[in-house]
Amino acid sequence: MIKHLGIIGAGTMGAGIAQAAALSKVEVVLYDINDTILRQALERVKTDFKKGVEKGKLTSEQTTEAFGRIHPRTRLADLSHSDIVIEAVIEDLRIKKDLFKHLEADTRPTTILASNTSSLSITAIASAARYPERFVGMHFFNPVQRMKLVEIVLGQRTSPETAQRAIDCARQLGKTTVVAKDTPGFIVNRVARPFYGEALRLLDENVASVEEIDRIVRIEGGFAMGPFELMDLIGLDVNLAVTQSIHEQFFGEPRYRPHSIQKKMVESGMLGRKAGQGFYKYEKKG
Amino acid sequence: MKKTKPPRQKSKRTKSEGGAGAKVYIVGESPMVEEYAELCATKGYSVQVQWNQEPTRKPVFQSSHITCSSAIPTTSALALELTNTDLVRKRQNLDRLDRALPSTAAILSSSVTVTATEQSGWIKQKHRLVGFGVLPTLVLKPLVEVAPTVFSPAETLNVVQRFFHSVGKEMALVQDRVGMVLPRILCQIINEAAFALQEEVASPQDIDTAMKLGTNHPFGPIEWADRIGMGQVNAVLTALQNDLQEDRYRISPLLRHMAQTGEWWKRTTYFIRKD
Repeated sequence: MIKHLGIIGAGTMGAGIAQAAALSKVEVVLYDINDTILRQALERVKTDFKKGVEKGKLTSEQTTEAFGRIHPRTRLADLSHSDIVIEAVIEDLRIKKDLFKHLEADTRPTTILASNTSSLSITAIASAARYPERFVGMHFFNPVQRMKLVEIVLGQRTSPETAQRAIDCARQLGKTTVVAKDTPGFIVNRVARPFYGEALRLLDENVASVEEIDRIVRIEGGFAMGPFELMDLIGLDVNLAVTQSIHEQFFGEPRYRPHSIQKKMVESGMLGRKAGQGFYKYEKKG
Repeated sequence: MKKTKPPRQKSKRTKSEGGAGAKVYIVGESPMVEEYAELCATKGYSVQVQWNQEPTRKPVFQSSHITCSSAIPTTSALALELTNTDLVRKRQNLDRLDRALPSTAAILSSSVTVTATEQSGWIKQKHRLVGFGVLPTLVLKPLVEVAPTVFSPAETLNVVQRFFHSVGKEMALVQDRVGMVLPRILCQIINEAAFALQEEVASPQDIDTAMKLGTNHPFGPIEWADRIGMGQVNAVLTALQNDLQEDRYRISPLLRHMAQTGEWWKRTTYFIRKD
């Protein structure tokens, strides 16, 4: 059982994981260098809890208790009592490696060190560590509160005990786990590539329009959203970045080659819902 | 944020006219023949079926309006050709249909692994052939991809449209291209999953779970392959590879192997052998 969870980075993912953990009765130390970001994260958690209560999914006692379990901190040393530390900072290998080096010094040798990276290699992040066997990937999905899945990613030197403890931790947070080898895109980001890549090629080859492809995939395929609607939701820039990263990591394997349509749309600022325009036009409510 | 365009089209199950006893002849591969036969029969058609190869376990049809016969009824206004894997046989079937059916009759032929245009070159009366998308289990869905050719006149398209309307399906017109829309996307996802499986990135169960929970797919790729059949998936991918001549359509050796070895790969048995 995990009693103390450390989270590094109070962005969307960090705050989401903190929220899920606190609701599962785990004491959370949420660390960020930036005090303002920490405060904003707590605000977001509060708002989300409030919504949960309004919808009848949570009670106000539950949320008050859970909120009390999230301890915002700006000193890395405050994570020293954690059973497991999950890192959710910017996707930059140098920053992550550096961070874990410090963390190794500040935590107990039994502490599991996990990264929420979606695009970097766990093996590479663990390469500078003294104890690479206690490193593991725990890839949560956004929004963490709603998405049930966690990919447990095994680095080259991750020990079976570390993997098991990461699985137990994710389950304690109410998540379903799958185990993946440390390969580009792990499972979801890799196997989902053709959903977007083929749709873009179908569009480019003029086999059908954006609307028709989405309609076919939804109604004939039974998917909740068509590929273009989903790209708009994810953000064209995010989608392109993931594709590019996997393409590069597989040394240019043509199955993952990004499409010029994506690039042009990103360059033009048509990033999807968040920009008001992607493959479809969106207008603000009211 | 509100999406303004296009209006979200709910699948419209329009009131269908039904077949009212009209004859439909269905020839091709199992289980698509059975699936379409049941659909047509429940919508009031009188259906005659013929398999390329009799299924090992002969299906028990729910409807009494389905008969098995190799003789093509000369009064049939519509025939369905449902072959994706054996294209030599498909060509023979189309030739037989073209000779036996009255010239006013339309032929709806699966154009997932060979374009309708190429198929129309196999028969004398090119005008009567229209392509459409068929893969096992997709018949249950209320939408069908239809690919007319340059030879398809409005009359043929009207027959096709009336037929799909009568069996409760809306049409999506697409360009006549191998793989069409959904089969191409689905089979490439299955291919990618097969590559991942081959590289032992994860177990088949975990790949399915990950895709359903991580990105909300209705089925995992291995489940999709189970539903569609690996022989069909392999046929679609081979057709894409031949048509597009790109490395990106290279087929996972594991997938090809599964297609060649038949039944053993089925998800359930794969687990047993694997564990």
